[in-house]
Amino acid sequence: MLNATVISQILWTSLATSSYFVLFALAFALVLKVNKVFNFAQAGMMTAGFYAAYVAVRIIGLPGPVGVMAAIAGGVVAAFVLEYAGFRVLRQRRASAMFVFIFTLVASQFITYAMTLVFGTWPTTIFESMFWPVTLVANVAVSAWDVPALGATLAVLIGLWAFLRFSRYGQFMIAVADNSDLAELYGIRKDRVLMISMLVAGAIVGVGMFLYGSRAQVQPAAATELMLFAVAATILGGIGNIWGAALAAVILGVVQNASILFIPSAWQGFLLYAFLFFSIVLFPAGFRLPDSRKALKKMRAAPAANAGQGG
Amino acid sequence: MTRHSPLRRLGLKTALATALLAATSTLALAQQGSYKFGLAMPLTGGQALYGNDQVKAAQWAVDAINAAGGINGKKLEMIVLDTQADPQVGIQAVNRLISVDKVPAFVTAWSGVVKAVAPIANDNKIVELSVGANAPDIAKLGDYVYTTFPLADVDIRAVAQYSAKDMGKKKAAVLFINNETGIGSAVVYKDTFTKAGGEIVAYEAYDQKATDFTGPLLKIRAANAEIIHLQGLVAESPQIIAQARQLGITVPITSYSGIYNPKLIQQLGAAAEGVIATSLAPGVDDLPAVKDYVARWQKEMGREPNGLPYTQYLYDTPYLMAAVFGSLDKKGIAPTGENFRKEMLAIKSFDLPLTGKVEFSDDHTVSKPVYLVEVKGGKWTGKAVVNK
Repeated sequence: MLNATVISQILWTSLATSSYFVLFALAFALVLKVNKVFNFAQAGMMTAGFYAAYVAVRIIGLPGPVGVMAAIAGGVVAAFVLEYAGFRVLRQRRASAMFVFIFTLVASQFITYAMTLVFGTWPTTIFESMFWPVTLVANVAVSAWDVPALGATLAVLIGLWAFLRFSRYGQFMIAVADNSDLAELYGIRKDRVLMISMLVAGAIVGVGMFLYGSRAQVQPAAATELMLFAVAATILGGIGNIWGAALAAVILGVVQNASILFIPSAWQGFLLYAFLFFSIVLFPAGFRLPDSRKALKKMRAAPAANAGQGG
Repeated sequence: MTRHSPLRRLGLKTALATALLAATSTLALAQQGSYKFGLAMPLTGGQALYGNDQVKAAQWAVDAINAAGGINGKKLEMIVLDTQADPQVGIQAVNRLISVDKVPAFVTAWSGVVKAVAPIANDNKIVELSVGANAPDIAKLGDYVYTTFPLADVDIRAVAQYSAKDMGKKKAAVLFINNETGIGSAVVYKDTFTKAGGEIVAYEAYDQKATDFTGPLLKIRAANAEIIHLQGLVAESPQIIAQARQLGITVPITSYSGIYNPKLIQQLGAAAEGVIATSLAPGVDDLPAVKDYVARWQKEMGREPNGLPYTQYLYDTPYLMAAVFGSLDKKGIAPTGENFRKEMLAIKSFDLPLTGKVEFSDDHTVSKPVYLVEVKGGKWTGKAVVNK
């Protein structure tokens, strides 16, 4: 079965379906980098984002673009509640990192159960139809979902990069990520920065869940499994390296799907965990690009300069 | 302290004994005034969506039986307890049904629960009726465990047989989820299709957490299968069918009862055409009583029940209970678990309103017709009945 069309098809579909995984990994890695939290409650944010879009599009009957906004709003609201009523309180009480981690697991399950009570366990999609028309491009099936999904992911990546690079709060986030105590000494309001980091992550997972939920069925517990891919990508990409996590998500998706050419399909899931196992053992700090520190130093210098101007 | 004469003491004792006897008799009469059975289903938790609808169906049947005079004038009483589809909670519920409510028989579902409570049923000689669970080993759980629902391989055999013999397909591909049920069912399909003269040209499992199915579908496309059997869960099956059609795979796709619901057509539109599913209960086109039953759901609940065929089986169960209790009552035999089992096996065959005839085999399985349905012109239509 190994021919150019098959290989091209697998590569294209893998790239397209990695779009939402990139977003989940990006959000997870961002919160880990800035807030220093392994935020498994992201699954709850994802669930909230999906059902917000579901209510907007399927129940109320609003158009798709409003559904995207609803998904973003759902993720952002869940992120706000988690940060305001959860993480902030735990920080004030000087809770240990392990306790915060347990909180994220509990919060994730709490949201999942709440959504189950409201929406039941029957899997559903954002749009009534989950079939997207296909166009053949050089014998490769390109669905009407693929290109907008990749476009949306690219837009989010560029938007996040620009936010972190050029906005004041983006630079504050980098500063807090690098050394939160020092950042506070420079007048950066840490709590506010951590809240913004969560809200940005909430918006990103909202977009991701809209993409996922417009192509596949979702039920309240589904996000937990999707999260594992984000965690794997974050570890593989190098903890603290959000772009590395995004790239790892793409590579993982392509490798996992392309593996069908060499191994039985039942082993594809195993491959993810095999990668994870060996990368944790062999590269506990993840793969790091040699010049990443230089870029970080540049970013670190910027908030220090701006800190005196307020914040 | 007051002292009483011996005669007076005798009188008091006699009065007390008489009162006690009267109270016992009244209690016995009260107990004889109704026949009880237990129903242990998930009323809360992740499976409650189905469990509650199944309980509602059973309650409608109990109400109908009692409205029609009950069991020789005695009331049929159903005691409902929650299992959450969790084996541990199921054990607690069944222990209560047996030790507190003293039922001679109870009904439960979900394979994990059915298996977990089987030793309790066997030890206490109380009949356990599995209604809806389909794990093949349910037939081997002991003397007191029976099923009214066909076990996993019945519909898979039927669809494989039909594909090879009646549809004349020679080359089939099997795509299945990599879990116990998926693997077991795929083996059954493969064996049946091969024995019927066909060839399996692709045999692909997919991971339970998979979110994309391009790879295995491309393998199937390359194998030039004339028909595909999909053994997946309701969560991912529509996506697999959608992706198959997107990749230009136009051959018929068969599956099992899990995908037989109107949502599949809404989700896939024209891509659903040619999909064949199974149903282990007659549909609205097969039996007028089912049409009335679905109409009642629409009228009272404004929707169809979740898992329609399963609710049909649950609706029928109180009728089976009533038939056994009725027979015991006529013969004046006490409704113990042992007697219930003997009488149920003596009657052996029951004609039930929504699922038709059920006959208990010696190997603790039941044989039922398999209804094949196909998406045609945007709706599920009857295609064939196998094992008539």
